[in-house]
Amino acid sequence: MNMRMNLKRGLGGAGLVLGLMACHSTDQEAQPEQLFQQPANFPQPIYALDQNRPTVAGVALGKALFYDGILSRDGSISCAECHNQAYAFTHHQHDVSHGIDNQVGTRNALPIQNLAWASDFFWDGGVHSLDLVPIAPIENPVEMDEKTTNVISKLRASARYPSLFKAAFGSDEINGPRFLQALSQFMLTMVSGNSRYDKWVRKEPGGTLTDDEQAGLTAFRTKCSGCHTGELFTDNRFRNNGLFIQGSKDEGRAHVTELPEDRYTFKVPSLRNVEKTLPYMHDGRFYSLEAVLDHYAENVQRTENLDPLLMQTDKSGQVRLGIALTADEKRQIIAFLKTLTDDQFLRDPRFAVQ
Amino acid sequence: MRIHFSYQLIVSVLIASISVISCKKDDVDVIDPAVKNSVSIQFENRVGDQKLVLGTPAYKNAAGEPFALTTLNYFISNISLKKEDGTVQKFPNQYFLVRQADAASQVITLKDVPSGNYSEMSFMVGVDSAKSVSPVSERVGALDVTGYGTDGMYWSWNSGYIFLKIEGTSTAVPATVSASQSFAMHVGGYGGGWNGSAKTVNNLRTVTVPMTTKATVRGNIAPEIHLFVDALTIFNGPNKISLATTNSVHMPAAATPIADNYKTMFQVDHVHNDKQ
Repeated sequence: MNMRMNLKRGLGGAGLVLGLMACHSTDQEAQPEQLFQQPANFPQPIYALDQNRPTVAGVALGKALFYDGILSRDGSISCAECHNQAYAFTHHQHDVSHGIDNQVGTRNALPIQNLAWASDFFWDGGVHSLDLVPIAPIENPVEMDEKTTNVISKLRASARYPSLFKAAFGSDEINGPRFLQALSQFMLTMVSGNSRYDKWVRKEPGGTLTDDEQAGLTAFRTKCSGCHTGELFTDNRFRNNGLFIQGSKDEGRAHVTELPEDRYTFKVPSLRNVEKTLPYMHDGRFYSLEAVLDHYAENVQRTENLDPLLMQTDKSGQVRLGIALTADEKRQIIAFLKTLTDDQFLRDPRFAVQ
Repeated sequence: MRIHFSYQLIVSVLIASISVISCKKDDVDVIDPAVKNSVSIQFENRVGDQKLVLGTPAYKNAAGEPFALTTLNYFISNISLKKEDGTVQKFPNQYFLVRQADAASQVITLKDVPSGNYSEMSFMVGVDSAKSVSPVSERVGALDVTGYGTDGMYWSWNSGYIFLKIEGTSTAVPATVSASQSFAMHVGGYGGGWNGSAKTVNNLRTVTVPMTTKATVRGNIAPEIHLFVDALTIFNGPNKISLATTNSVHMPAAATPIADNYKTMFQVDHVHNDKQ
């Protein structure tokens, strides 16, 4: 593959290029590797791929940056510090993430997966483009505590990066847009769409669900999919799910919009690989899926802007907070949620530290 | 003889004056918009009737609070020049960051301005909403979100540019609030609305300033418009800001009174129309 690409790059004669092109149209093996793979059961991506389509060299550069502590003030913290592949790129067993000098933030690290289908980033949606995401952890004083300008300077001065930038962008100029676009290219390739559930939906080999899992899916569709919608299992909206207001009294989306109707609302997270992304909620207060379902079944609080879907009026006209779930339903829903675990993604060497 | 001489004189004077007139006609001020030149705009930051020097604790606001400034930065964009006949010349897609710490940044040059007599100038303080949500590949020069270093003119956690940043120290800032008695006011907020989300606070302000002396762009005249920018207006404008109570502003809603103040801090002091 690489040899073919290098060969093509080295060719000057138009006739030879044409010859290769003709070859491409007939020879399936000569097609460029699909770095961004859209699962057949997923909707169209939101990210404008035509403006920054992942290339082999661009993804390689993005991966190098993702795993490099050079992005932090003292070289100690890379993106992978809080985004560990084995846990769907979350910070395992940390309710809130630990950054530089072992300082802690106020929110639980979100997984990095299927970001091409995300419209807003972070729990409050404060960042509106994937390309702008890396600046936030880099410049956050309790995460990487570095100035992005300084990261660019360090990359320029490094022995390693000029050639990687040249391979990715055609010249060894290192600048902000290229840096951000390379990180996006790598993150865009991190697609999780090969769970057992996906194979079941696509009727592929290995796509079997047990009776409990199927019952769980049925219950999920009735009781959870109002927010955890579609194949990404999120409607990409911001909702108040009735958590006790505690700790930092985080106001969520209102922190960026300053709108009263957004107070205590947070992003509806995807549930893909949810088995591995514990702990749960914006502040990581629940350590198990059982605790999450117990919250929805029994502990939803009527706080400001509680989502209407969590305030159901029953037949007798009584308002019931939360979601009615029997013990069996909870067990079955959790069994179903575990079918969203995508082992291929969690072990994919393309995303792994080298 | 005398009479004859007088006639000669009159005729010769007439001829001479005609030739002078025709000569003047050749020299008349023809404004050809196809002929272009540059216009430079100088932003001279001041504090009241004092020179603005960073670090000098020489200033006092209307609340009587002494203060020094350590940073004054602001974005200027969407400049337009209005001719005396009312037509407007726009300069889209040009963004400038004026920094008190960098003298070169305080002079903006507009290129290829058509000849004309310009009597009014408008500009935006900040970065318009369209550019605020544009792809990073289009964010170059003054708009490079990774380019601000310690100036930090971009909110990483709430995507958007900081339109104006004023920082300093004042003994009026309670030491219980800031041990170093420093203050920081960061004004941003382009109105939100991206991805179909709700509108949020919009602190973009457009300033319109008349020019009593017109900027007369000609093939041989590249006018220089000299603005006085009174930073004291940030505290003493239509909204009176006291550093004792307002000393840390980092959210759009709280910054609106400051934006309304600085909208009034610009005035054209004079225009140079020197021939080149």
